[in-house]
Amino acid sequence: MSTFLQVVFRSLETGSIYALAALGIIIVFRTSFITNFSQGVVAMFNTFVVTYLFRTMGLPLWLAIFGGIISAILVGFLIDIVIIRHTKKVSPVAKQIITLGMIMIVLGITPLLFGVDPLRLPRLIEDGNLTLLGADISYNGLFNIVFGIAVMVTLFYILQKTKVGLAVRATASNEHTAKLMGVPTKTVTLGAWAVAGVLGVLSGVMAAPMTSVTLNLMDEIQINALIAVVLGGFQTFYGPVLGAYIIGIGRNLLLYYGSSVWGGQILYILILVFLVFRPHGLIGKKIIKKV
Amino acid sequence: MHIDHQPNMDGLVLKIENLSIAFGGLKAVDDLSFEIKENEVFGLIGPNGAGKTTAFNCITQFYRPDSGNIYFKDRKGKVQNLLEHGVHEIIELGLVRTFQNVELIRELSIIDNVLIGAHTDFNATIFDQAFRLPRAVKEERRMRQKAYEILETLGIEDRADQLVGGQPYGILKKVEFARSLISDPKLIILDEPAAGLNDTETMELSKRIRRISKELNCAILLVEHDMRLVMDVCDRICAISFGKFLAKGTPKEIKENKDVQVAYLGIEVTENAEE
Amino acid sequence: MNTIKKIIKNPYAHFILLGVLLLFVPVLAETGIFKVSYITTLGGAFIFAIAALGLNILLGFSGLISLGTSGFMGLAAYVSAYVTMDMNLPFEVAFLLAVLIPTLIGVLVGLVSLKIEGIYLAIATLAVSEVLRKTFEEFDFFTNGFSGKNAQYPTLLGTFELDRTGMYYLIVVVLVLIMILTYNLVNGRLGRALNAMRGSEAASQAMGVNLLNHRLIAFALATVYASVAGVLYVHFIKYSYPSIWSLKLSLDFLAMIIIGGLRSIYGTLIGALIVFAVPDIFLKQLPYFNQLSYVLNGVLIILVIIFYPHGLVYARYDIKRLFNKLFKKGA
Repeated sequence: MSTFLQVVFRSLETGSIYALAALGIIIVFRTSFITNFSQGVVAMFNTFVVTYLFRTMGLPLWLAIFGGIISAILVGFLIDIVIIRHTKKVSPVAKQIITLGMIMIVLGITPLLFGVDPLRLPRLIEDGNLTLLGADISYNGLFNIVFGIAVMVTLFYILQKTKVGLAVRATASNEHTAKLMGVPTKTVTLGAWAVAGVLGVLSGVMAAPMTSVTLNLMDEIQINALIAVVLGGFQTFYGPVLGAYIIGIGRNLLLYYGSSVWGGQILYILILVFLVFRPHGLIGKKIIKKV
Repeated sequence: MHIDHQPNMDGLVLKIENLSIAFGGLKAVDDLSFEIKENEVFGLIGPNGAGKTTAFNCITQFYRPDSGNIYFKDRKGKVQNLLEHGVHEIIELGLVRTFQNVELIRELSIIDNVLIGAHTDFNATIFDQAFRLPRAVKEERRMRQKAYEILETLGIEDRADQLVGGQPYGILKKVEFARSLISDPKLIILDEPAAGLNDTETMELSKRIRRISKELNCAILLVEHDMRLVMDVCDRICAISFGKFLAKGTPKEIKENKDVQVAYLGIEVTENAEE
Repeated sequence: MNTIKKIIKNPYAHFILLGVLLLFVPVLAETGIFKVSYITTLGGAFIFAIAALGLNILLGFSGLISLGTSGFMGLAAYVSAYVTMDMNLPFEVAFLLAVLIPTLIGVLVGLVSLKIEGIYLAIATLAVSEVLRKTFEEFDFFTNGFSGKNAQYPTLLGTFELDRTGMYYLIVVVLVLIMILTYNLVNGRLGRALNAMRGSEAASQAMGVNLLNHRLIAFALATVYASVAGVLYVHFIKYSYPSIWSLKLSLDFLAMIIIGGLRSIYGTLIGALIVFAVPDIFLKQLPYFNQLSYVLNGVLIILVIIFYPHGLVYARYDIKRLFNKLFKKGA
């Protein structure tokens, strides 16, 4: 029982990381209609900014993270203003290739600015363990879980209950109509890229202490987040979050109780089989074309 | 449910028996029966939402009816129950349809779009095609010639190599018509062929429908809103309302039928009056 | 005069002429006009062009998107390396097995594509590719894990030992052959059926196109092309690491066909050159900017997509117009 709980706690932590990344992807998708393959790489860049502020500039970690958030917002604005706004005529598939171009730019710039050596970013709460029902969890892990959930609950509250959220949802359901109704869709899109950036850097800062800060920091997270979005469905904001936690938990359980070598692959195959039966994810409806 | 019986199809090309389909409890087509004779122009009419389109989506197997039988005399004269065939097998039997909102491929030339209608008439394998073996080349040339001749009869052969994208609506309708003709059909279902056409084009269309059914020895099922066209070209008409059979007969009989006047013309008149 | 005109207009003549021109690259490299390293760069770009052509059949013609190309290409590379190095079987046998095995999996994905569509299909194929990539990492005795698997230049028919230049010639021949086969396929019955399937599922079915068959054919073709590319890759570059066969590479393939032009055979080649050869051959030669070649390539990709959303093949009309303008001014 205690090992099981231990695995679940670990999973909730990775689940939170995937969920933040997945939420970043779906927010951009719903407002700009782009599957953002650069979500992870941009998050990696901003995590490098945090690491730079912390290690080279010697700022305290929380202040460095704050700096990373500012950087994420600015980079988000930059992407929208310089690139995304000029892609109105571009087909949906080609838009995804624009994010590939962005990946190349970020992958090229990052080593020039921050060097090629892997860097270490410590945990926000350095040490300390909590024992819950016989299972150990670090304070930092617990903080990540709670913080991740808090960020998402806040975002969902804003989306569902506030005027800003209404504008976002209106843009997501029909950009053209929203514009006619006076929703400032340009601002909504701008904000979406900034929020996605912030969610990205948060997931990056959570993931970084588990490995080291390198160009590949977010590769695995990006892929799991994309699969989480498909598992949850593209039609809601909360579906992908749900998908992310399922992947986080399912993956660790399979790795621990199934096979430490094949667990990840088995999970993906299970998801594929699930998609065959529910082609639009957990929460999603098929749109039928009439002839 | 049904005992498999061979219906008497003497002189008939299509026989529909007790066709029913419901969507979420709503009966779109309810116990509908009618038959189409060989080489006749048959009209299926009814007010908006009467189930015309649903009925023929059942015939062409886009929908699977809940009950009923649909018999069709194929190109070889054999009687087939269409329910036993997949949607992509229907055209091979000799039954082809057009679409209300013209479903053509914009990025292909007009003649290539027509050739899609001959898809099932090709025998060359992928291997033959990839290496352009003589039999593939010959077949392609023969079909292209046939497509060109059909375009000629419709008077649009000069546009054969132009792309479909950007062509005027009247031309698109003709291309779709040509695409259905190339398959040598026994029965063509035209889904609102006059929609979006102007008066001259509609008149031209009615002449064309008559000519085609005579020259090609095929029957035509016309699902149409434009009453003038229906009354003008059809040999016989079946009127339906709310998915149910209403009346059957010559255009004259339908015009004079009380039920039809109430259900169809009547409703239309009151609707117009309200406006 | 007429026969010359006919030859000039013949599409096959174009493909063969292109092939002959490309065969001269090693000769030019020997005379010192080209750097010798360009042989590797161009050969690599042509290999990727082959896989991208397959993806173009899938996405451009059939409208089915896949992010699994790199996984299938990698699988073929490992199979071929394993069969030649560990089983000591001839290159030809390796080639057949390396095409057959991924294609079987590709056909399975084709089955899935009947149910899953659009972006869902893209990411489902990404999951397949990831399963393969992780298998490359873990399946040590077959792939040699993270250390990478080595392969050698092949010996054709047991007698012709190829070196790098020989391998380059083989790549050009295969590329031209595949371009011709693709041209034949997409301009015939199959191409029309795939186009119809993309344009309108309903209409294509009504015209007798069996959706299941054609989706399977499209996926099988795309996987065969990717597998051929994978075999050529592993015997040209001579090694294979799991990290090569990543999402990034699949996106690169997508970039090639979008940049070059959907449904364009030459466009795919142009796209492959831009994504793979331009950084090495041009951007790295620029003074001050050689460090930024990757960044510049990203910028280039974004600019091309914004200014030529239908692909660079359409730039030829602009070039023609510009040419006419200059010419008329001169006259």
